[in-house]
Amino acid sequence: MILRHDTEPMPAPAALRPSPIAWLIAPALLLFVLFFVLPFSVMAVMSVYSGNPVTNPNAFLTTRHYMRFIVDDADIFHDALWATLKIGFITTVISLLIGYPLAHWMARMQSRLGHVLVLMAVIAPLLTGIVVRTFAWMTILQDKGVINTTLMSWGLISKPLPLMYNEFGTVVALVHIYVPFMVLTLTGVIGRIDERLEQAARSLGAGRIRAFVEVTLPLSLPGVLAGSLLVFALSISAYVTPSLMGGNDVLTLPMLIAQQVGTSFNPNFAGALGMILLVVCLIIVIAYNKILTRLTGEKGLA
Amino acid sequence: MISRRSILRAGTGLAAATTLGAPTILHAQASTLKITTWGGKWGDIMKATVLPAFEKEFKCTVSADQAFPYVPKLQASSKNDPLYDVLQTNSNEQWNCFTEGLVMDKVSVKDVPNVADVYPYAVSDKIVGVTIFTSAIGLGYRTDKGITPPKSWKDLADPKLAGARGSYLIPVNSLGQCHLMMLGKVYGKGLQDLDAAYKALELLKPIKLVDFTGQMEKMLLSAEVNEGVIHDSGVYRYEGDNRQPVDFCSPTEGVVALEQVLSVTPGSKVKQLAYAYMDYMLRPDVQKLLAEAVWYSPANKKVKLAEKYDTKLLTTPEKVATLIQPDWKWYNARKEDIDGRVTKILKS
Repeated sequence: MILRHDTEPMPAPAALRPSPIAWLIAPALLLFVLFFVLPFSVMAVMSVYSGNPVTNPNAFLTTRHYMRFIVDDADIFHDALWATLKIGFITTVISLLIGYPLAHWMARMQSRLGHVLVLMAVIAPLLTGIVVRTFAWMTILQDKGVINTTLMSWGLISKPLPLMYNEFGTVVALVHIYVPFMVLTLTGVIGRIDERLEQAARSLGAGRIRAFVEVTLPLSLPGVLAGSLLVFALSISAYVTPSLMGGNDVLTLPMLIAQQVGTSFNPNFAGALGMILLVVCLIIVIAYNKILTRLTGEKGLA
Repeated sequence: MISRRSILRAGTGLAAATTLGAPTILHAQASTLKITTWGGKWGDIMKATVLPAFEKEFKCTVSADQAFPYVPKLQASSKNDPLYDVLQTNSNEQWNCFTEGLVMDKVSVKDVPNVADVYPYAVSDKIVGVTIFTSAIGLGYRTDKGITPPKSWKDLADPKLAGARGSYLIPVNSLGQCHLMMLGKVYGKGLQDLDAAYKALELLKPIKLVDFTGQMEKMLLSAEVNEGVIHDSGVYRYEGDNRQPVDFCSPTEGVVALEQVLSVTPGSKVKQLAYAYMDYMLRPDVQKLLAEAVWYSPANKKVKLAEKYDTKLLTTPEKVATLIQPDWKWYNARKEDIDGRVTKILKS
């Protein structure tokens, strides 16, 4: 009996067999590789070539696209990067200021029906395309738009207020488009905070504001972090809204990238601009994560 | 009597015949012409009428891409097996493609017989491939805002139009690029006088800039601008039941040609079919149909348009002579520098 067992082939060690979890993760991993790693790698490779190495045998390795950005003879690339980050930062802060109270109200809402209705109101704009929502803002904010026409017909202003074709109009439209992402992220986090902690603070003599600042706000910081990063990432990569709302006053890196691909037909420089935007954003995100981690004493997201 | 053996024999024979005939069948199936074409009303007519008739006559299928921009997609595809057989774009993009070896230069009368009937501008040395239609770039203006109808390109700089004049983001729109070159001609020594053009741009501030012609139409219709750079078809189409208080001015210094150009890719496997398509698009009946639908001036001299189109579009040698064709090869070679310069100038 023992002899027979010894002569039978040994079963494969459990460690070599793929676990069921690995099989479950495999499709997601495949998608990640196909739709992120691969395009990203292509972009990175293109950014260090003079042309397309697949279709052009004369393409050679070069750093000229990065040098072009660094030297910035045209004096527009650094401005574009700064404008991108500035618009992203302002949009994030305003979205947080609008989104936090709304998310808090939703999370603490006792009525289930009320919660569903407000949730639907928050989600509803997402069902309309970004182009449509941006065009809607154009009809409201342009010189002959709803606001300026109304104010002029009432005699309150003699010439249109500069509501569009500038950073102001761009930020207004971006905030409207991205606030739902902030609200949805925060609602989940605030909803999981035990209300009794706040009640305990109040029973120990803390006022409503102090209980919020010292109990609820610190506990909701992971949500603030996640929501802010999401809105910041979406804002700095926005193309349609800054293009339509910004006029000649706003030039962001995504606009420059689209310009390089679509009208200058220079995908290599576009790749370099994309890499630069990615690296700058990663640095900002890591720094932001570290600061918030230090403030909360918790583990960050990145 | 049909035996099992005879059925098997017949089946084997059929299979053999099918196998032997496969290349022919495959060849017939492979006759797909891949083209680019515009969307909107143009695209509707192409898909409903023009392309089905071509497919029927030439026993092929046409795969039409309407998702702009086409050139980056062509750049990304193999030169030996290009994404398109026929590329339809404006002239500036054709020159980019020609410089990169993505499209072929001229077409001959032998390959495209209708080329013999086109106006000289359609095959001039400023053109890669062949022009099938053109529009005239000039000034569109509101007729209900009390502004003096423009006569010259200089009229756009009228101080009364401050903030109510419009043009295009020069780095992304060929009409904006044409406007810049016209400023060089009107205020300086010629289309290539960039210093004069840059100075003239300063005179136009404040100006509303958009990135595509549809947006300029929308701005004119909503009176967001009272006068702006636009192609004639973008104004003339608002007539009849669709009438709007807008009109088009062909400035005395001339109008710039906005050509719709066809070219063939060197790696196309169906070049004869591609030439046949070019020839078909230059046929008088096809030209008339499309010209009257979207108010484009036909390149074929033999086209007879209905009177209301004929009076406004460029349909005689005299009217065609007012067309100015920019040297896109020259412009494209300097585009990066120009883009940087004009972006700085126009940013307020």
